[in-house]
Amino acid sequence: MTDSPAIAVDGLTLAYGNTSVLDTLSLAIPRGKITVLAGPNGCGKSTLLRAIRRLHKPSAGRILLETTDIAKLGERMLARQIGLLAQSPSAPEDMTVEELVRLGRYPHQSMLQPWSPDDTRALETAMAGTGVTHLRERHLGSLSGGQLQRVWIAMVLAQETEVVCLDEPVNHLDMSHQLDCLDLVRQLNSQFGRTIVLVLHDLNLAARYADQLVFLRDGVVAASGPPEELMVEDLIARVFDVDAMVITDPAYGRPLCIPLRTR
Amino acid sequence: MQANVLHEVSSNATPLPRSTSLGLVYGGLLITLVAAMVLSVTVGYRIYSLPQAFAALFAFDGSEAATVITSLRLPRAIIAPLVGAGLAIAGVQVQTLARNRIASPDTLGLNAGASLAVVVASAVFGVGSLIGLSLTAALGALVTSLVVFAIAAGAGGLSPIRIVLIGVTIAGLGQSIVQIILTNNEAQLQNLLFWLAGSFVDRPMTLALSGGPFILAGAALALLLARPLDALQADDETAKGLGVPLTLVRIGCFVSVSLLTGASVAMAGPVSFVGLVVPHAARRLVGLRHGRQIIAAALIGAIYAVLADVAARFVIFPVEAPVGAITAVLGGIVLVALLRRRAA
Repeated sequence: MTDSPAIAVDGLTLAYGNTSVLDTLSLAIPRGKITVLAGPNGCGKSTLLRAIRRLHKPSAGRILLETTDIAKLGERMLARQIGLLAQSPSAPEDMTVEELVRLGRYPHQSMLQPWSPDDTRALETAMAGTGVTHLRERHLGSLSGGQLQRVWIAMVLAQETEVVCLDEPVNHLDMSHQLDCLDLVRQLNSQFGRTIVLVLHDLNLAARYADQLVFLRDGVVAASGPPEELMVEDLIARVFDVDAMVITDPAYGRPLCIPLRTR
Repeated sequence: MQANVLHEVSSNATPLPRSTSLGLVYGGLLITLVAAMVLSVTVGYRIYSLPQAFAALFAFDGSEAATVITSLRLPRAIIAPLVGAGLAIAGVQVQTLARNRIASPDTLGLNAGASLAVVVASAVFGVGSLIGLSLTAALGALVTSLVVFAIAAGAGGLSPIRIVLIGVTIAGLGQSIVQIILTNNEAQLQNLLFWLAGSFVDRPMTLALSGGPFILAGAALALLLARPLDALQADDETAKGLGVPLTLVRIGCFVSVSLLTGASVAMAGPVSFVGLVVPHAARRLVGLRHGRQIIAAALIGAIYAVLADVAARFVIFPVEAPVGAITAVLGGIVLVALLRRRAA
């Protein structure tokens, strides 16, 4: 990669009370790519994602957006650069789809700068891009789980940030909606040029969608690189404590992990 | 959508009105409010004609009718909408702050705090004048909001559930102390019972003039907070991700709610249920965007309070019922309807 990374995590240490979660972790998030954070429970992947969005304050180290330390950015400025889809977002059942997607424009407005034509354009583009325009007047409570997740992604898309962080976006979705949602995330990347940082539990989905895969274990990066390099049996055994067989999936030619037994 | 009580407020019930129909909603509500205020000036123990009312207001002739209209009817026709609008705007904010649709200014214990202050001032310090009680009530509401805020902040943050739990606890505590004091002071009970139920009767115009600015200030602050309040309807994490300064917004809401509720309780005593029920009607009419919700709630709350005040003059005619009782009965029915619909 000749390009400078969109985000550089530099010696990040983070603790909850006395429990250290991330330990002098360094990582480059390449611009315009999909980076997937994976690892066993408690490895710190969600914490890292939240730290990138500055929802956690590091005890040491820094996170650079381009060349700026995010600790130095104002709330609104940061929210124009990095968007976040939380792990289990919630909003009132009687809120309409349009009302929710509009929230994405919050950081682009101010008291002196109310709703503008630019906001309308971003709102419409986000709803059209995620295929929820026809649902705009519907109440959130009347949507299916898959539709609802699309609407939340539309909200983050409307925020028009260069970087989009998604914390386990497919956790509670069935198989077809998982694919649907991740295809949409890939579309944010390819069609809208967003840099994506994604936490995923399912290793095979991670391998399928990642440009860069990152394995975390005990608060440090155990390995990072293209999925083909990381999806190898001894690495999976070391990071996940699982003996696995890795094959090439016959449909897409991506590495596929078949877990055999825990170690 | 099913037919229900709230729909009677307007025939323009749509989920998200476009700007033209939004103008119609506001215009309709405004006309209804003016009509209700005219009704409030002309109807009561004696009924006056429109020309009589106009003459009293614009060409005072010293007649009995003119005196009744200007000194008795007019103050309440102005105080009632101020109080109704204030409590409704406070209710919108509290329900968003608590992320709970059955929260209200009462949930924060502000009315209970005001009542306690008034009862203590009356029983212990012998405060008897209306102005004295009004100031005491406002002070009680403000102190209570500070106490709830301080306990919540001290307990680790202004999370919605913590605000509600602390508010409800303080409200319960305040109410029980009021009961204890009143049980031991039967004479006080007679004097204060009417105040404790909330009323617009016999309020001087000066009360409206001194309470009004606080209502306006609280309403203006609420409107300034409308956009962050929109984002606060989502979970904390999402709101933070959008760049909303959560603590700052919550403090701002607390200040606005305290101003609105404190001024309301000072002018009319604890008028219940307005802050609970009116936001539901407002959301039905104009959707969930707070800029719209706050304006609609202010208008509906004003109409509700004025009409309840007019009704209070007739339910146990010729004696006046406390307006708080009327808003509570009406509000209770609406609330049960709302809860039944949600359960269904």
